[in-house]
Amino acid sequence: MEKILYLAHVESDGTLSKAALESLGAAVELSKKLSGSSLSVGLIGSQAEKAAGSIASCGATSFFAVSGPEFDCSRYSTDAAAIEALGRQTQATLMVAAGTSRFGRAVPGATFRLNGRIDSRITGFTVENNSFQIQRWFYRQRMMSTQTRAQRPWALLLDPGVFSPWAGQPGTTSVQSIAVNLPELRTRVLGTETATTGPQTIRPDAKLLFVTGAGWTKKQSDGQPHVKEAEDLIINFLEKTRASLGSTKSLVDQTGDGQQVISLLSHINQVGQTGSTPRHQKGLSTCCHGEEPHTVGWRFINERRAINLDANCGWAQGKADVLYVADAFQVLKKVNELL
Amino acid sequence: MSAFHIIVCGSLVPDPLQTLEPITSPTGPGLKNEAMLPAVLDPWAGHALYEAANLAKNNPGSKVWLVSLGPKAKLQQLMMTIAQKVPFELVAVDGSASGFTDPFEAANALSDAIAKIPGLDRSKLLVFGGCASASRDAGVTMQMIGEKLGICDQFLAVDELSTPGDGSLRILERIEGGRYQVSSCQGAPAVLAWATGKLPVPPNNPQVGMMNMRAIMPALQKAVPAKVGSEGVTFSSVEVPKQKRETRIVKDMPVDEIAREIVAWITA
Amino acid sequence: MENLERQSLEVDIACVGFGPAMGGFLTTLSKVADPSLLQSRVMPGMPLQIMCYERADDVGFGVSGIVTRGRGIRASFPELDLSSIPMAHPVKHEKLVYLLDPIGASRRSAALKLVDKLLPARHSAFEIPFIPAFLRKDEGMVLSIGQFTQWISSQVMATGMVQLWPGTPVQSALIEGNQVAGVRLCDQGVEKDGSPSAGYMPGMDVRAALTVVGDGPVGAVGQQLDQVFGMPEGHHKRDWAVGMKMVVDLPENTELEAGMVYHTLGFPEPEIFGFLYVHPNRGASFGIFVPSFLETPVRTSYRYLQHWMLHPYFWRHLKGAKLRSWGAKSLSESGKHGEPFLAGNGYARIGEGSGSTNVLSGSGVDEAWTTGAQLAEGVLDLLREGKPFTKETLHEAYVARRRKSWVEKEAAVAEKARDGFHQGFSCGLLGMGLTGLTKGLLNIPGVAKRPHEKFPSLEEHYGTKLSAAELEGIRKRAAAESIPLHDLLMNQAGWPEIPYDGTLLVSHQDALLMGGKVQAAPGYADHVVFTHPEICETCIEKTCISICSGQAIMPGEASGVPRFDREKCVHCGACLWNCSKPGRENPEFGNLEFRAGAGGLHSSEN
Repeated sequence: MEKILYLAHVESDGTLSKAALESLGAAVELSKKLSGSSLSVGLIGSQAEKAAGSIASCGATSFFAVSGPEFDCSRYSTDAAAIEALGRQTQATLMVAAGTSRFGRAVPGATFRLNGRIDSRITGFTVENNSFQIQRWFYRQRMMSTQTRAQRPWALLLDPGVFSPWAGQPGTTSVQSIAVNLPELRTRVLGTETATTGPQTIRPDAKLLFVTGAGWTKKQSDGQPHVKEAEDLIINFLEKTRASLGSTKSLVDQTGDGQQVISLLSHINQVGQTGSTPRHQKGLSTCCHGEEPHTVGWRFINERRAINLDANCGWAQGKADVLYVADAFQVLKKVNELL
Repeated sequence: MSAFHIIVCGSLVPDPLQTLEPITSPTGPGLKNEAMLPAVLDPWAGHALYEAANLAKNNPGSKVWLVSLGPKAKLQQLMMTIAQKVPFELVAVDGSASGFTDPFEAANALSDAIAKIPGLDRSKLLVFGGCASASRDAGVTMQMIGEKLGICDQFLAVDELSTPGDGSLRILERIEGGRYQVSSCQGAPAVLAWATGKLPVPPNNPQVGMMNMRAIMPALQKAVPAKVGSEGVTFSSVEVPKQKRETRIVKDMPVDEIAREIVAWITA
Repeated sequence: MENLERQSLEVDIACVGFGPAMGGFLTTLSKVADPSLLQSRVMPGMPLQIMCYERADDVGFGVSGIVTRGRGIRASFPELDLSSIPMAHPVKHEKLVYLLDPIGASRRSAALKLVDKLLPARHSAFEIPFIPAFLRKDEGMVLSIGQFTQWISSQVMATGMVQLWPGTPVQSALIEGNQVAGVRLCDQGVEKDGSPSAGYMPGMDVRAALTVVGDGPVGAVGQQLDQVFGMPEGHHKRDWAVGMKMVVDLPENTELEAGMVYHTLGFPEPEIFGFLYVHPNRGASFGIFVPSFLETPVRTSYRYLQHWMLHPYFWRHLKGAKLRSWGAKSLSESGKHGEPFLAGNGYARIGEGSGSTNVLSGSGVDEAWTTGAQLAEGVLDLLREGKPFTKETLHEAYVARRRKSWVEKEAAVAEKARDGFHQGFSCGLLGMGLTGLTKGLLNIPGVAKRPHEKFPSLEEHYGTKLSAAELEGIRKRAAAESIPLHDLLMNQAGWPEIPYDGTLLVSHQDALLMGGKVQAAPGYADHVVFTHPEICETCIEKTCISICSGQAIMPGEASGVPRFDREKCVHCGACLWNCSKPGRENPEFGNLEFRAGAGGLHSSEN
C-alpha cells in the first residue's frame, strides 16, 4: 500500500510550472495503477492555496503546504526542511517530484533525512502486477535501465519534458498548513541573471534545437574560415525561428584553443556527453561530426535532420531522419531568406 | 582573506569517447571490459578540483583534499593523469566506481572518509564535487554527503564562486533557461556541487606532480576498503537503446530546394 | 607573458617514453633487493628520484598488439601468470598464409601471377605448410601491449620508486657539450605555432644525472640525439613500416580459438604483410604493415587494411565482428643497421629507437624489454660502485652487457636479412629466407635508399594501368574538392569501394572516433611541421597525406601546402619517412618535422 506524496514548488503567481504539472500527471497515473495506493499533495510556497485549487480535481486525498516568505525562493536549507516536514507528515512511501533545479538540489538531502533513497532523471515507469519499475539513464544517456527498489521512502525525480502534464479542472480544496523548524538561514538568494552577455540562446520551451558543430569554424571550400559569416547566419536563424541553440563540445572547446570562435556560445550551450541532453520536438544539426558518444546530445529530440558535407556523418547515419549532404553555409543562408 | 579547508569528492569515469556496453553479473550490472576501459577524472569533479585549487591559491592557508572512491588500482592510474594538475592531498576509498552503485551508499562511504580526515576545521569546510557524475549521473550524491556532515547550505550546478573577503561566499548556480541564480552564503561550511565552472584545465606541472605523488602512493596504500553496491535495487534490464533510424540521405539536391524543405519542416 | 621564467627540476634519472623497453628498465630497477643502493643524489635522504615522462595521454595508449616469444619478459617475471594480464594468452597454433588477389587490383609481377595460378588455393589463399623456425613464436604469447604496459605500470608505480607521468611530452634532451643533462618538456598554453597564449607555461627543464631514452623509433629525443651525435659509421634509419591494426570482438559463433596466430603476405599488395592474433573471450587483433619498400606514392594504410579484412580467407571469420579499437604506429625496420650510439655521457638508449628490433623474426617487444632490463642491471652496478653515468661507464655496464646477450647475437644474424628488399619484393623474400635458413651466413645484398628516394611519380607507378589523362583528371578533381588523391587513384585502379557496415567497416574518421578515440588536449603546439612550405607547394605526390593514419594531414589551401590537424593525429610518425622531398637540413629525412606532442589514441586495448 504505497502512500504517494506529490511534491511541487509553487510559482510566485500561484501557478504550477509545466514540469510540476508533468510530474503530477505521472503521480496521478502511478496512483491509479498501483492498487491500494493513496495520493497526497505537498506544496511549497506562499501561494499554495491557489495552486492547490488549480489541481483540486487531481484525485489527491489530502493537500498539505509549507508556506511563508522563506519558502518563496529556491534555497537548499528551507526547501529541504519543507520537503522533510511534508514527508514526515504524510508518512509517504513514494515521493514524486519534478527534476527542476530547485528540487534537484533539495529533494536528495531531504530524502536522506527521512532515511529514504532516491532515484533521479527518471524518464518512464511501468506497473505490472502491482510491481513498480522505473526507467532511467546511466553513463550520460548511453544506456537505459529498468529497475526497482525495496527501500522506502523512495523519492523519484522525474526528468522534465517526458511525461504528459496533468490537465484537469480547478476547484476548491482545503490545504493543511505544515509548520517547519528552520535552521539558521545563512544563505540569501539575491536574484537571477543571464548566463551570457549575448542574446538569450537557450530556450528550453522552443520547438526546435539547432545544433552547431565544429565545421562552422573550419576552413570552407575557398580555404578560409568564415567565422563572422557563420555567426551572422546562426544569429539570424535563431532570431527567425526562436530555436534553442546547442553546440558540440569541440566547438565550445575552441575557446580554449585560441581559434576563432562563435562568440555567442558558452559551455552552457554544450550538448552531449559532457553537456546537456535537451528535449525538443525537432532538431537540426549542422556541421557536426562524430559517432557515439557525441550524438547523445540529441538523443531526446523527436524529429532530427542534419546538414553535413559528409554523407557518412555519425550525427546523421542511423541517427537522423533526413541527412542533407550540402554546404550548411549555403543552405542556412537560403533558409534565412525564406523564413 | 579566509583560509578554507576544501574537500573535493571525485572519482574516475570511463574516458568519454570509449564505447560502453552494459553486462549483467551476479553482483548487478556493469560495463563490458570495465577494468580495461581508460578512465578519466569525472569531468564535473575535475572542474570542482580546479576551482578548489584556485580558491586555495587565492586564500593563503587553505588546503585541498581529493576524496576518491574507486578501485585502488584504477585510482592509482588516474592519479598519473591528474596529480600534475593542481596540488592536493589524496584520500582514497577502495570500492566500486561503477555508475550502477547507489548514491546513498557512495555518499556514506565518502562522508565517512571525510569525517576521518585529521585536522579538518568545520568553520573552514567547503565540500566540493561535481553536480552529477558522468557514470551514475544522478546529481544527488553531494547533497547526501552534505546532510551526513550536517551542512545545511548547499548549492547545485555552481559555475562561479567568489569570496568578497568577509568570509562570505557569492555563488552562481545554473537554473532553467540558461540563467543563473545568485546567492550569498555567510560562509563555510557549505557544499558546492559544480557544473563546469569558469576555469580552463590547468597545464601539467611536473613539480606539482612530484610533490603530490610523494603523498599519493602512501595514501593509496592506506586506502580503506568500502563496500559500495546497490542494496535494495533490482535491475531488470540495462541496455543500450536501439535507436537506429532509417536515414533518408539527400544528395545532389539544389540548395534552394533543400532550404525550402527545411523551412517547410521547421514551420510545420 | 613571454617572459615567464622556465622552471627547473632536479631528479636522479629522467626517462623518456613508457613502452616495453622502459617497462623492462623500470621493472628491473624497482625490483632491486637493496633499496639503500637507491639513495637520491639530488635529494639527500630521499630515495632515488626516478621520473618517467610519457607523451600519450595515459600509459598503454598508442602502442600495438603483438605475438612474442617473451623470453626477456619471462626472465623478468619467472612466475608470469598470463591470466592476470587482460587479453594475454599463450600461443596455441601458428599459420603462415599466402593471400592471393581475388580482385585483380594489386601490383603483381607476371611471375607472381603465374605462381598464384599454380598454387592449390582455398578461400583465395595458400596455407604454407612449413613455418621457418626464425618466424615461429613457439611457447610465446599473444599480448595487448596496451594492457601489458598498463599492468607493468601498476607494478612499478606500486613500488613507490618510480613516478610515471603520461600526458607529458618531452620536447628535447638538454645537451650541454657532449653531455646529456636531462630533458626539456614541451611548452603548454601555446598556439599552434608555439607562440604563448592563455595559460602559457614554458616546458620545464628536468635535470638528471642519467637520461634514459626509450621514446621509440620516431621519438623526438631519439631523433635529436641521432642528429646531434650522428650515427655510427654505416648505420642509418632508412627502412620503415607503418603498422595499422584493429582490435575486434569476433562474432559469437567464431571458430577461431584464443592463441591462434596468423601471419600473411601477398595481399592487398605483395609487399604488405598482415597478421591476426586471437585473444581470450573472442577478442582478436589484426592488421597490416605498409613498408617503405612498397615503392608507391599511394601508401595508404587504412584503405589497404580494409581490403585485407575483406579478403575471403579472413572475411569468413571477420564478417559480423565489431570494432573495439584501432591504431597505428611506425616501426623501424632497419634493425641493427639503425642502431645509434647506445650510450654517451649522461644518457643511454633502449628499445626500438636503439635498433633493438629483430628484422628477421619480426620481433621487437621482447628485445626492447630486454635492452631496458640490461640497462637497469648496468645502472644498478654503477650505483653500487658509486660511479658516474659517463660514456665509458655506461658502455661497460650496459652496452657490453647488451653485446653479450641473445638480443645482440640474434640481431647480428638478422642484420642483413631485409637488404634484398632494396632490390625488389621477390629478392627481399628470398633474402629473408636465405638469411634465416643459413643463420645469417648468406644474404641477398641491397643498398638502402633514403626514405624520400623511394617514391616513383604517379605516372611511373601506374604505368599502363592509368593513362596520363586519367591521372590528370584525378588530380584536378582532388584539387577542386580538397580531398586526398589515394582513394580516387585506388578506385580508378580497380579497387572496389568499401561497403560500410557501421560496426567493422567504417569510415576512416569513424575509426578514429569509435576505434582510436583520438583526441588532443588544447594548449600544445602543432608537432607536425612542414619545414619549408615552398617545397610542399611544388610536390605532386603528397604521400604524407596518403600515409597519414589519422587523416590529420589533408590537402591544404590553394597554395598546395598540406594542413595538419593536431586533434586527429595518432602519432604514428609515418609522415616522418613519407615525404618525397629531401630535407634541406637533414637529407636523411624529408621536408617535414615530426616533433613531440600530446594527445592521440585513447584506447588501451591496442
